[in-house]
Amino acid sequence: MKDDVCIRNLEKDFNGFKAVNNLSLRVKHGEIYGLLGPNGAGKTTAIRILCGLLRPSSGEAYVLGTKVPDPGVAQNIGYMPQELALYRNLTVHENLAFYGEVFGLSKRQIETREQALLKLVDLETSKNLLVDELSGGMQHRISLACTLLHEPQVLFLDEPTVGVDPDLRASFWRYFEELRDAGITMLITTHYMDEARHCDRIGFMRGGRLIAEGSARELLELTHTDSLEGAFLVYSRTEGLQ
Amino acid sequence: MNASRAFAVTKRVLRDLKNDRRQLALIFIAPLLVISIFGVAFTGSVKDVRVVVVNGDTGVGNSSLSDKIISNFDTSVLNVAYANSESDAVGQVQNGSASAAIVFPSHFTQSVVARASGQTSVAPANTTITLLADKSNPNVSDPIIATVNTAVAQTIQGLGRQAPASVDSSNAVYGANAQFIDFFAPGIICIAVWQLTTLLTLISFVGERTSGTLFRLLASPLKESELVVGYAVAFGIIGIAQSAVLLSAAVILFHVTIVGDVLLAFGVIALLAIVSEGLGIMLSSFARREAQAIQFLPIVVLPAFLLSGVFWPIQAIPEWLRPVSYVLPTTYAVEAVRSVILRGWGLDKIYPDVIALLIFAGVFLVLATILLRRRE
Ligand SMILES: Nc1ncnc2c1ncn2[C@@H]1O[C@H](COP(=O)(O)OP(=O)(O)O)[C@@H](O)[C@H]1O
Ligand SMILES: [Mg+2]
Repeated sequence: MKDDVCIRNLEKDFNGFKAVNNLSLRVKHGEIYGLLGPNGAGKTTAIRILCGLLRPSSGEAYVLGTKVPDPGVAQNIGYMPQELALYRNLTVHENLAFYGEVFGLSKRQIETREQALLKLVDLETSKNLLVDELSGGMQHRISLACTLLHEPQVLFLDEPTVGVDPDLRASFWRYFEELRDAGITMLITTHYMDEARHCDRIGFMRGGRLIAEGSARELLELTHTDSLEGAFLVYSRTEGLQ
Repeated sequence: MNASRAFAVTKRVLRDLKNDRRQLALIFIAPLLVISIFGVAFTGSVKDVRVVVVNGDTGVGNSSLSDKIISNFDTSVLNVAYANSESDAVGQVQNGSASAAIVFPSHFTQSVVARASGQTSVAPANTTITLLADKSNPNVSDPIIATVNTAVAQTIQGLGRQAPASVDSSNAVYGANAQFIDFFAPGIICIAVWQLTTLLTLISFVGERTSGTLFRLLASPLKESELVVGYAVAFGIIGIAQSAVLLSAAVILFHVTIVGDVLLAFGVIALLAIVSEGLGIMLSSFARREAQAIQFLPIVVLPAFLLSGVFWPIQAIPEWLRPVSYVLPTTYAVEAVRSVILRGWGLDKIYPDVIALLIFAGVFLVLATILLRRRE
């Protein structure tokens, strides 16, 4: 069990509907793994199981070697929910400070990391604005900052770039690559297929199943397509034939 | 249980409130409005009620007992008009222009004098004043009846005669100068705190669920119990602030008298706020949207408003409904706060109510934690 994230034959049943169906995958230490698939593929459900928010119906999931759900891993994971998960009536600083305190950071730690993160997401001047007053893109950046504040080892980012303009998306991915180079493991979901070329490995998900897995280059070569979107369609079609 | 994480939640809830004018108004202005409306509506005693007198009394010589009684009517309560016939007077009551007809029989003075001097042959009808009131509103008819009774008693006393027995109620065990508002103000304060705390917790928690913040928290080291306790402390503080504002308003605007220890009353109200907070969190797990949460409100508010002894005591509630009263936390809070404020009771006397509230708080907080801990 060397890998930071390990899912084996995972199933999640919602009243007879299998949102995740026999899913197995591994994310190596220091790797960006992109989970790709259309809406309803089961990406969020898989991530919620990994973060301990849902219980698997069968199969198992391990994070940093611990079988989840387990409160013990919380300190080391960073979860960016698909929803922004910010307090709109609180300022940027108040949000960051709150999440920092929840993770047991000292006032000093919160201050220095807040400064660094706000600089990173280019929102240093918005520190004392209410989240409600920020634009959607700014809120996304704050949401990411809240996820990173406690310096987690494994990141679960659920559609971090949805509704984010292309410039910002590019800088998000640049930042994710920097984090990876610093040894952080990431599982990122997206339904924008083409931005997944930044991932080290990609898993295509559809109907709760993993229908293909590999690096962007492998997937393109195997399907003889020039876009991940095209590759997804090929796998999607062949899976339908089976 | 990590106190600093729970306290982070408390701070978060209070900050949220500080930054949101709408919520602040809901917490402080709405209950002030409510207590003012109730205060104004209920402190005004019945005044200037039009009654129609039919005085057929011929008197004895030039003295008329009926005139004396009428002159003893409290004219701040009764606005006296006259009619010549009973049917005319009753007609005025029927068409709503008067609230009661008061009819003196024709040989009233003569018959009363005769009866007083020991004659037993006097027909009771001749010594009876007939009061035909519109009793559809007892709040109006009761004071009319009381005023007429008082006037009769005063008149008889004025004649130098003593009733064979009498009641003196001028001294009080509790509430010497109490008005009705003194009785219901503590209840209104409790209900306001109960209702608003439940509502605010419900809205906050449904918000935590829909905005995703709850997911972030449940994936963090924060324990569900810390979240519940953090919220409880915040709403306990808010409950105290609310009741301080409300009680001040009651004292300043309506001269409600505080006999007992205000801090003890605040403590009880804070406990009630914690119970409501637990309830709000529990209810929030059954609502997906804010609009659904609001639908729970009548269920929370109405029984508490009607059945926890705010306006009439539990003893006045039909026996078959009383079990409902006893499962309402507000019943115990209203009773305790009223006893402290109005009777000056201490913890040594209100402890049964406090224990009941502690049990409610314990059970609700544990249930709220269990519901949060549940994983689909
Ligand atoms: N709590 C739930 N109850 C019932 N069905 C659910 C629940 N959560 C998700 N689903 C269903 O499971 C499927 C997968 O959802 P989700 O994991 O959110 O997909 P994705 O994130 O890939 O868009 C969807 O069809 C969704 O409707
Ligand atoms: Mg999703």
